[in-house]
Amino acid sequence: MTPREGPTMDQNRSQREALPAGRPFAHSETTSPRIRQLREQLRVSRFPLSIVKARLQTEAFRNSDGEPMVLRRARALAHVLDNIPISISEGELIVGNGASQPMGLELDFYAGLWPRDEIEGLREAGYEVSAADEAEILEMNDFWKHFDAIGRAGQWADDRLWSFLQTGMVLPPWKSRENGPGGGYAESGLGLGPGFYLMTVDFGMVLERGLLAIIEDAEQRLAALRYDDPEALEQGSFLRAVVIAHRAIIRFAGRYADLAERMAATTTDPVRRAELTRIAAICRHVPAHPARSFHEAIQSFWFTFLMVTPSPTAAMGRFDQFMLPCYEADHGSDEEVLELLQCLRIKDMQFNRISGKVARQKNAGLAKWHNMVIGGVRRDGTDATNPLTWLVLEAVSRCPTAHHTVTLRVHDGTPEPLMKRALEVIRLGTGMPALVGDRSYIAYLCSQGVPLEEARNYAIGGCLDVTLPGKSRSAAVGMFIVPMVFDVTLLNGVERRTGQFLGLHSGEFTDFGSFDEFYAAFKQQLRHCLTLHAQKNNLDLLISRELYPDPVRSSLMEDAITQARPLLERTYLLENGALLNMVGMINAVDSLVAVRKLVFEERSVGQQELLDALAANWEGHEDLRRRFLAAPKYGNGDDYADGIATELFSFWADTAASLPSCLGGSHKPSGISVSSQWPGGALTGATPDGRFAGECLADGALSAMRGRDLHGPTGLMRSAMKIDQSRYQAGLFNLKFHPSAMESDEDLRKLSMLVRTYFAHGGKHVQFNVVSRETLIEAQKDPERYQDLLVRVAGYSAYFVHLGKAMQDEIIGRTAHTHVS
Amino acid sequence: MDRAAAIAPSLTVPGPGGLAATRGSVFNVQRYSIHDGPGIRTTVFLKKCSLTCLWCQNPESQQEAPELFFDADKCAGCGRCQSVCPEGAITMRDGRSWTDRSRCTGAGHCAEVCPQGARSLMGRYLSAGEVFREIAEDSIFYEQSGGGVTLSGGDPLAQPEFALALLRLCKQAGLHTTLDTCGYAAWPTVRQLLEHVDLVLFDLKHMDSNRHRQLTGVGNEPILRNVRKIHRELRRPLRIRFAVIPGHNDEIANVEATADFVAGELGRSVPVDLLPFHRFGEAKYQRLQRPDPLAGFVPPDPAQLAGIQAVFQSRGLSAHLGG
Repeated sequence: MTPREGPTMDQNRSQREALPAGRPFAHSETTSPRIRQLREQLRVSRFPLSIVKARLQTEAFRNSDGEPMVLRRARALAHVLDNIPISISEGELIVGNGASQPMGLELDFYAGLWPRDEIEGLREAGYEVSAADEAEILEMNDFWKHFDAIGRAGQWADDRLWSFLQTGMVLPPWKSRENGPGGGYAESGLGLGPGFYLMTVDFGMVLERGLLAIIEDAEQRLAALRYDDPEALEQGSFLRAVVIAHRAIIRFAGRYADLAERMAATTTDPVRRAELTRIAAICRHVPAHPARSFHEAIQSFWFTFLMVTPSPTAAMGRFDQFMLPCYEADHGSDEEVLELLQCLRIKDMQFNRISGKVARQKNAGLAKWHNMVIGGVRRDGTDATNPLTWLVLEAVSRCPTAHHTVTLRVHDGTPEPLMKRALEVIRLGTGMPALVGDRSYIAYLCSQGVPLEEARNYAIGGCLDVTLPGKSRSAAVGMFIVPMVFDVTLLNGVERRTGQFLGLHSGEFTDFGSFDEFYAAFKQQLRHCLTLHAQKNNLDLLISRELYPDPVRSSLMEDAITQARPLLERTYLLENGALLNMVGMINAVDSLVAVRKLVFEERSVGQQELLDALAANWEGHEDLRRRFLAAPKYGNGDDYADGIATELFSFWADTAASLPSCLGGSHKPSGISVSSQWPGGALTGATPDGRFAGECLADGALSAMRGRDLHGPTGLMRSAMKIDQSRYQAGLFNLKFHPSAMESDEDLRKLSMLVRTYFAHGGKHVQFNVVSRETLIEAQKDPERYQDLLVRVAGYSAYFVHLGKAMQDEIIGRTAHTHVS
Repeated sequence: MDRAAAIAPSLTVPGPGGLAATRGSVFNVQRYSIHDGPGIRTTVFLKKCSLTCLWCQNPESQQEAPELFFDADKCAGCGRCQSVCPEGAITMRDGRSWTDRSRCTGAGHCAEVCPQGARSLMGRYLSAGEVFREIAEDSIFYEQSGGGVTLSGGDPLAQPEFALALLRLCKQAGLHTTLDTCGYAAWPTVRQLLEHVDLVLFDLKHMDSNRHRQLTGVGNEPILRNVRKIHRELRRPLRIRFAVIPGHNDEIANVEATADFVAGELGRSVPVDLLPFHRFGEAKYQRLQRPDPLAGFVPPDPAQLAGIQAVFQSRGLSAHLGG
């Protein structure tokens, strides 16, 4: 049961409706000339690829051979920060680039090297790599192969794990022990990485105390070291590394102050001169010292953020909460704050990432989740909405870029005007803010033994995973393709694409006499494969701990200086270091449901007949496929189908809890698919839910398979609410709406009620995908996949695919192109 | 506690017999219906209507019996429907199936076997209990949003016993009920149904009875009588819905007469929804293989709608565009 949070819902309802409507600043659709200019600078045809950062790191590493790893890494960071070219673009108010050029990408060698064919792949994708750079990259490969986590994991993987890695059941499939899936990463961000950690550092600490305070703490702790402590040297190295790193960050800010001063001296524009002079003064002061104004705070935040990236999943934390004291102290006008918030959005847009050929698919486009959380409750359970909550939403609406991500925490007492404003912003088409339910998140944290007050302070890492600022870090997260296990069960332990036997015979499908026998076999295989996945997670953690101690991120965690240990050598309040994250779970659910009904209950389909049809990818078995398609499906509130979903989600959570993490505690269950439903689907054979081989899997974790939910949003929600989501770190849930179904204030109010009902009954997340014109055209061509698309026609809500062609054309005509850069 | 049980409707479902056993013909149950009354609603569309409006948007709702929808674009001409039709009503023409509508009884066997989904049956006979169970599934959404159930059609008054049974079941369960009607029925029937209705959405088509007869097949006297009584005797909350059909009921004289009627006979507290005509129903005529009567109709332009809205407002009425 979800623990009851604060006042009852009815009390909250009356409270939130009694609140005054809105913030006293004018909403505006206009973009200031500065923001227009900065957005214009984002339009580049190709992000410049650079090896400057890698070269500097390599130099530093060559000079520190034999020192403890944490010190070598600190010196490498310092060498980069002291020498990487810097620049300030015209019009910028927040300074600091994530690479040696604006919009640049820096090649790195931590989670994969860059063999010749991958360099060629970069060129094919349109990136320029000169012959000289290629030679240097190959030389660096040779150096960094000793520090590459992928190659190291390849060395440690035993035969069973090696078979498992090749299947790609945890994406992406491995090609060789040396190079893994092939290719490394090139990213923006000046920190040490590597980056797939779901964590929120304590930004508030930097704003409030400044880095000099952290340096001072570390120096005092160093002075107090006594060599009768067996860990004294490890602790000492860590503390020295913290001092080296933070001093370098302060020098780096100083370089920007110098640059701004030089530019101020040469500019002829008096307005810009004043801006640059102000920027210089700010960079002299932060992040070394406590921030005194909103502008100082946002600059200090950005310098810090540059150091916790490269990472596509570095979180921006509860921004409206930790920025509030500086906002209240000194923020000029709200218009100035809005301009800075938009500058921050643009700064984040300059961050990019590419990876090797295979991994490129796993995260489509330039996917990243620099997730800024707003709203929710305070530690005492009262509503945390403040002026900055509104301003962040307004900044999204004025500057609707794809990044950074914004998530609104919704609780029973979230003011209705704020919900309405959030839905209006969502309607613009960026899908932001995402909405998450405090009840389910807080219930999860409490079930993990986190005290209620701490639980109420959660933030989001990646797209949806729970983090506690400064008090948790998920560092091993995979994309596990569940329907592949279903296929493995049908083939008695063999993976179809690679022909690899994964180590467990669970019985021939044709020998099962009942659904229960088959279901037990599936769960046996699932547990077996998850155990292998957990082994890989732990191996990754141990290797990262050995190779990648990070003095910066570690020092921005709670109690870091006292503990004097890197973050992978500590156990945190929420110990969610390793996750078991599902992709395509709903395809497995629907497949189990269909097999149960047709094969084992009705006995209208033979076991061999089904195996043949799947092996033939339904070709020549079209009638059979239609019968499997017609079987009950998750997403319609149907107990027959939802029962298996409910049970299987519990089984997954139980399994996670039984698999230990090497950092302490157990694995944690999570449900985010990102864009892995595509490559995951590509690797998976035909499934009895009627899906073809290679076809994309269901997105999210709690969404239905595309086009299989036929009872509207409430039907889909009723299915999702049956699942105990409070046992999960995250549970992605997408709803598609056409903007026409969210037109009037009344429409938005009802949408708000829909979301509140879902959250009140255990829902964790809602993402509204406001559909574009292109989607509608696609839906017209392929109605089977878009049966759930709701549009509004002159006062009537209707399913788009049920409309006649002429009406569809009319709606397509009415749907504006929403170009979002 | 079992989670499924925790979110299941707290309403009691009546057992077999009595109200719950009353059967009727339904052609759609639309969930998350947000334009047919307050809050999040489920709208139940009942088949059968006493009117035959020229511009009917739901032609599949006019008769009580289930009817075949046929989407010719989807038909692959496989002929399976032909082999299962008990009436021998289906033949193959030009590589597609063709149904002799005069022989089709709406049994629906063809829809069951059609591999392309080209054939579907619009409407099914259900018991009030079955429909209520579907309605009750979304109870938690009604609670939070102040929503409930809306009966629409067709016209629910054309299946009065069934509508009554449904309304009574919903009221017993404490749900908010809305009746969307064109109001053509004997007063005792209307009165009996309205005992279980919280809000009435009442259509006015034309104020001139002869013109009303030309457009809808019936005179408007009982309709106007009923709406007066609903407001004056029963004092039920009421919204008037006026579908704006260019060239048929949008002439200034009728708009003014309608506005005068609402303001004078019902009062200014009764809100009016102006529903602009659209061609939503076009594809339905094709699928029923009936001639499309909507070809000559055009949607009103925004300026014209604003003018009509102004006429209502000039009588002190609140008039909204859209439902």
